[in-house]
Amino acid sequence: MTTKEPEAPPPFIFRDGAIQTVLDLRVYRLTAIQKSAYRFAERCTAVLGSPEADRLPVRFVFGPTIIEQDALETARLFFQELLDQELREQVGDETRALRALIIAQAFSRTDLIRQD
Amino acid sequence: MFHDRSRYQSSRGYQLAPFRFSPLDGSRYIATNDVGEYVVLPREELVEFISHALPPDREAYKSLKSRHFMFDEYSRVALELLALKYRTRAEQLASFTGLHIFVVTLRCDHSCPYCQVSRQAEGRLDFDMSQEHADQALNFMFRSPSPALKIEFQGGEPLLHFERIRYIVERAKALNQVHGRDLQFVIASNLSRLTDEVLAFCREHGVLLSTSLDGPEALHNAQRPVRGGDSHQRTIDAIRRARQTLGPDAVSALMTTTQASLERVEDIIDEYVRQGFHGIFLRNVSPYGFAVRQRASRQYGVEAWVEFYKRGLAHILRINEQGYPLQEEFTAILLQKLFSPRGSTYVDLQSPSGIGIGALVYNYDGAVYASDEGRMLAEMGDFSFRLGHLSRDSYESIMTSETLLTHLSDTMPEGAPMCGDCAFLPYCGADPVFHQATLGDAVGHKAFSAFCKKQMGVLRHLIGLLEDDSRARDILLGWR
Ligand code: SF4
Repeated sequence: MTTKEPEAPPPFIFRDGAIQTVLDLRVYRLTAIQKSAYRFAERCTAVLGSPEADRLPVRFVFGPTIIEQDALETARLFFQELLDQELREQVGDETRALRALIIAQAFSRTDLIRQD
Repeated sequence: MFHDRSRYQSSRGYQLAPFRFSPLDGSRYIATNDVGEYVVLPREELVEFISHALPPDREAYKSLKSRHFMFDEYSRVALELLALKYRTRAEQLASFTGLHIFVVTLRCDHSCPYCQVSRQAEGRLDFDMSQEHADQALNFMFRSPSPALKIEFQGGEPLLHFERIRYIVERAKALNQVHGRDLQFVIASNLSRLTDEVLAFCREHGVLLSTSLDGPEALHNAQRPVRGGDSHQRTIDAIRRARQTLGPDAVSALMTTTQASLERVEDIIDEYVRQGFHGIFLRNVSPYGFAVRQRASRQYGVEAWVEFYKRGLAHILRINEQGYPLQEEFTAILLQKLFSPRGSTYVDLQSPSGIGIGALVYNYDGAVYASDEGRMLAEMGDFSFRLGHLSRDSYESIMTSETLLTHLSDTMPEGAPMCGDCAFLPYCGADPVFHQATLGDAVGHKAFSAFCKKQMGVLRHLIGLLEDDSRARDILLGWR
């Protein structure tokens, strides 16, 4: 399997201090979306709507001093971050059990793991 | 439930090992693993790697394999090796609390606007540590399992209560006849009261001195007001006398960055060279004590400080190229974390947080704090990091107190939002007191955290230098 990078997001429209978009949950996991929103909290508030089928409405709400150009750039960067988060989820899925094994191996000859 | 390791072998050429990644700059990413190894690679290669599509003849493949980011059929022992490295890095936790800070008085003769404690006037003897508390603190300290114990005297100005310092040093040495630890003593002082008697005592007992030098005379005097307005001259004279008596390396110095220093990093560094120092710690102002009340901590943003640091580091590297060895101490700590199998024991950059298990603070009034910043926060009315009292609480009850254990488990960065995914995590820390002071909770939302911005800014710059500038790399690798 190769990791397919999702297509570019649709052009954004900045209106009333916010940008509205819709994310495809078949492409981005909800955890990846939530983590991206958390990471971008200083730049904007990403308000996640209720998912309908595989579509999740997202509204980026900006502070009162934002200019349109910066808002559009933030939305673009959010999608870049989303790609990274999605990759991180893949790495996590593949390596979670192995990390537990390494830690168990690391402490196997210490008092931290009961031998019985 | 653990499976046999054959279960983890991949049918797709290689198996990914656990790692984290973050953008390094516009085009490259840094990937790190739990044992602190790192690899820098372009995004396309990172995606190929994660997709199991990185060809084995690629340079990146070799780097990722040798640094344990993957296992293939030829790397069976790698898992044991990775586990061993993990264990080595975690091992230092077992010998906890090496630093013990004795606040022998809150009195001070200076009135620095960025002061992080609530200093008291020179005559206020009720802000001195009693002998009873000193005895209790020493008994407490010797309960720590650390084979090396460092006693640091702080204030206020600790030399205003030199008699208590004398008592503690002599008593610690006497007790150590039984305990057999590696003892070290440091007085953190402005040195204005460095009498011949103090110097003779320091020489006799191997006590080191740490002082404040904020830069050239005018800048230092403006930032460190004292009656007579000659703090710089007094400090320089004292450093010279201390070196004559105690040796050239017995005095170290610290600087604090204020708004006035921001434009003058080169001048500050040159002053350190002029005064014969071979190390300088570029420090930002902390958000505690007088610094908050006098707004010194809010005069500049973290971005401005990171620029200050970058310019400073460039200047220090130039000075090294010209043949004068000078190292920046914060960078040296990060380099240890980047390249030493054991990481670094620097209290502010520990995981779990260094509070309590990296340092303990015995305040003048017998209160015990989890860190120096924790007692500073208490001076502002927030007692979140007060662990107990020497007269009322035992070592066991303090070290297993709900307050300490909760802070430690809350601040394991591996579980903190953002940190858990961050490539800089192995080189970072938690600093719960800073987050409590600035964001109102010990974990802190890292998107708003000045600590996080500082760490990312400095680490990105440092790793960029190591990758792209071979002359800088040669100098930096000598600092570890
Ligand atoms: S504090 Fe910031 S730099 Fe440090 S590990 Fe957390 S997210 Fe990374």
